Amino acid sequence: MNLVRAELERLAARRFVQLMVVLLAAAFAVTVVTTLAGSHRPSPAELSRAQAQAAESVREMEMTYDRCLRIREGSLPPAENDYLPRDCAQIDPAQLDELPTAADYLSGVFVFAKEAEPLLYFLIAFLTLFGFLVGASYIGADLNSGGVVNLLLWRPRRSTVLAAKLGTLLGGLVGLSVLASVAYLGAFWLIGQASGLVGRTGGDFWPSLAAIWGRGLVLVLLAAALGFAVATLGRLTSAALGAVAAYVVVWELGARLVFQILQVGRPDRYMLSSYLAAWLSGEVRLWDGNACGPGISGYCDGSYTVTWPSGLVVLLGLTGALVAAAFTVFRRRDLM
Amino acid sequence: MSAVIEIAGLRKTFHSLRQGRRVAVDGFDMLVEAGQVHGFLGPNGSGKTTTLRALLGLVRPDAGRMRVLGADSPERLPDVAGRVGAIVESPQFFANFTAHRTLRLLAVAGGVPTVRVDEVLEQVGLRDRGHERVKGYSLGMKQRLAVASALLKNPELLILDEPANGLDPAGIREMRDLTRSLAEAGVTVLLSSHILAEIQLICDHVTIVSRGRRVAYGPVEEVLAGFDQHQWRVRVADPEQAGDLLGRAGLSVTAGPDHLVVTGVEDPETISRTLGEQGVWVRELVPLRPDLESVFLELTGDHEHMGVEVPRQVDGAPPSDGVIDLDVRESREVDA
Ligand SMILES: Nc1ncnc2c1ncn2[C@@H]1O[C@H](COP(=O)(O)OP(=O)(O)O)[C@@H](O)[C@H]1O
Ligand SMILES: [Mg+2]
Repeated sequence: MNLVRAELERLAARRFVQLMVVLLAAAFAVTVVTTLAGSHRPSPAELSRAQAQAAESVREMEMTYDRCLRIREGSLPPAENDYLPRDCAQIDPAQLDELPTAADYLSGVFVFAKEAEPLLYFLIAFLTLFGFLVGASYIGADLNSGGVVNLLLWRPRRSTVLAAKLGTLLGGLVGLSVLASVAYLGAFWLIGQASGLVGRTGGDFWPSLAAIWGRGLVLVLLAAALGFAVATLGRLTSAALGAVAAYVVVWELGARLVFQILQVGRPDRYMLSSYLAAWLSGEVRLWDGNACGPGISGYCDGSYTVTWPSGLVVLLGLTGALVAAAFTVFRRRDLM
Repeated sequence: MSAVIEIAGLRKTFHSLRQGRRVAVDGFDMLVEAGQVHGFLGPNGSGKTTTLRALLGLVRPDAGRMRVLGADSPERLPDVAGRVGAIVESPQFFANFTAHRTLRLLAVAGGVPTVRVDEVLEQVGLRDRGHERVKGYSLGMKQRLAVASALLKNPELLILDEPANGLDPAGIREMRDLTRSLAEAGVTVLLSSHILAEIQLICDHVTIVSRGRRVAYGPVEEVLAGFDQHQWRVRVADPEQAGDLLGRAGLSVTAGPDHLVVTGVEDPETISRTLGEQGVWVRELVPLRPDLESVFLELTGDHEHMGVEVPRQVDGAPPSDGVIDLDVRESREVDA
C-alpha cells in the first residue's frame, strides 16, 4: 500500500504526465469554447420551422413507403427512375431506428445527443494515446534514472515493485479517465442545456454511450499495459514507440501489401487494427477481395465479420502475453 | 563476533554482444563481521561494484553463496532489506525531484517515518539545499544525497560503493567523519574504494580484490604486517663505506641517494652493532613499514600496468597527503 502511495505521487509528479493532462485540458477547453461559440439556443420560430421540416420529411417517407406498397400490389405503375427495394418494409418509417427530428433541421445549434458519440470517441482516442505513452515513459524513465534500482534496495521484491508500478498506472488511468469523461460529457451536456439542445437522450442512448465508454476504458488500460510491458522488455521508453511504429509499417502496411500480391484470402484477419475496430464498434464487416474472383458467377458476398469477443480475445491475449513476458524478464534481469 | 556479510565462491560473467564474455567476479570470498569498518579495496574494474550488486540482489550471480545479516541473498533479502542501507555506484535520482521529495518517496515506500528525511539531510550536510531540484546538484551533492538515502532506514549495515566519488577534499573529510561517527554508534560499514588512503584512514579491516578475486584480507594491521620486509633506513656520514661493511656482514643493502636501505633485519641492533664495531656511527635508523598502498600495488600487480617502478616500501609518512587515484590505469573503464 505504501509502495502504491509513493508510486502514485511519483506518477503524478512526472512532467510528461502533467504535460499530457494539460494538453487534454487544452483540447477540451478549445472544443468547449468553439462549440459554445458556434451554438445558440434555437428561438421558438426556428424550432417550429425545424419541427415543420422534420414532420414534412417524415410525411414524405411515409408517402414513399405507401407508393412502394401500392406498386408491389400492382395497383400503381412504377415511374421511370423509381428506386424500389425488394421488400418495402425496408423503407417503412415505422420500422426505422430514428425518425428525423427537429434537431436535424437546426443549423448552428449544438445537439448533445447527436454529438455525444463522436465526442466520446475522440476522448477515448486521446486517453488511449495518453495511456500508452505514459505507460511506456513511466517505467522507461524509471529504469533509466535509477529509480527502480533505488526502490529495489528498499523493497528487494522485483515482482512486487513492478506490479505496484503497473497497478498504480492502471488505477491512476481509471481515475483520470472517469474524471475526464464525466467532465467532458458533462460540459457538453451543459452546453446542450444552456445554449443548444440536449436532444433525444431516452431509450438506449445512455446505455449505448456507457457501453462505448466501457469498451474505450478497456482499450485505454490495454494500451497502457502494452506500453508498459514493451518499455520494460526493451528497457527504454522509445522501445514501445519503436515497436508500434515498426508494427504499423512492417505488418499493417508492408505485410498487407504482400498478402495482396500473393492473393492471400482475408488478410484483415491478421491485422490487429481489425480486432481493435471490432472491439470498439462491436463488429466490423470486412470484405475479401479474393473471394469473388472471375471464376464465380452470380451473386457473391465476399464479406465476413469480426465480432467484439474475438477482438477482445486477441487484444487481451497480446497484452497479457507481453505483460507476462515483461514480468518474467524483469525478475531475472541484471539491473545496472 | 557475528558475520554480517558472508560471500563464498561468488562468480559473475557478463555477456554482451559487443564485448563478448567478461568475467567480472571470479570466485570471490568475503567476510565482514559486526562492528567492523571494512574496506573493500581494488582497482577500477576489479569487480567491487558487481560484487555489491550481486549481494544486494541486483545482478544474478553464476555461482556462489551470499548471506547478509544472516539471510541468504537474494532469496531472503526482503527479510533484512530494512536493516541494510546501501549505495551502489553513484546512484542516480530523478532529476526533477528535490532531494527532500526523493527521500520522502523512498521513506514512504519503505515505511520509514518521514521525519527521518530532515535528519539525514542534516547528517550529510544537505539541509539547506534539500528543497532544490536534484538537476542542479553537483556530483558531490548527488553523492551526499545517495548516502542520505542509505542512512534513511537507520541501518545496521551500511554499504557504500565509492562514496568519495565526486567529493572535494572537505567533502571527503566530512564523509569520513560521518562514517566514523556511524561506526562508533555501532553501525557495520562496508566501504568500497579504489583510493587507498581513504581505506587506510578509516577502516579497521580490509578485503583486497584484484580481477574478481580476493587477494588479501584481515585487520589492516595484519595485512600490512604480512608484507613487512623488515626494512630499515640508515643514515651515516659515509654511505659507501657503511654499505660495504654491512654487505660484508651478510646483510642485504641497497643504496639510496643519501641513505641506505637494509632489508630482512628483525632487530636494528644488528645494524648499529655492525657499524659501531667498525667505528661508523649511525645518525638515523628508521623502520620502513609497508603501507596499504604498496601492499595493494603488489597484490593487484598494478606496478606492471602502470609502467612505473613502485618501491615495495615507502617512507613511514602516512599516505594521506597524496590521494592516489588509479583511474588512469584502465581506459576501458568508465565508472560513471
Ligand atoms: N553490465 C556490465 N556488462 C558488461 N561488463 C560489465 C558490466 N558491469 C561490469 N562489467 C565488467 O565487469 C568488471 C568489473 O566491474 P565493476 O564491478 O564495476 O568493477 P569495480 O566496481 O571494481 O570498478 C569490469 O571489467 C567491467 O567492465
Ligand atoms: Mg565500481
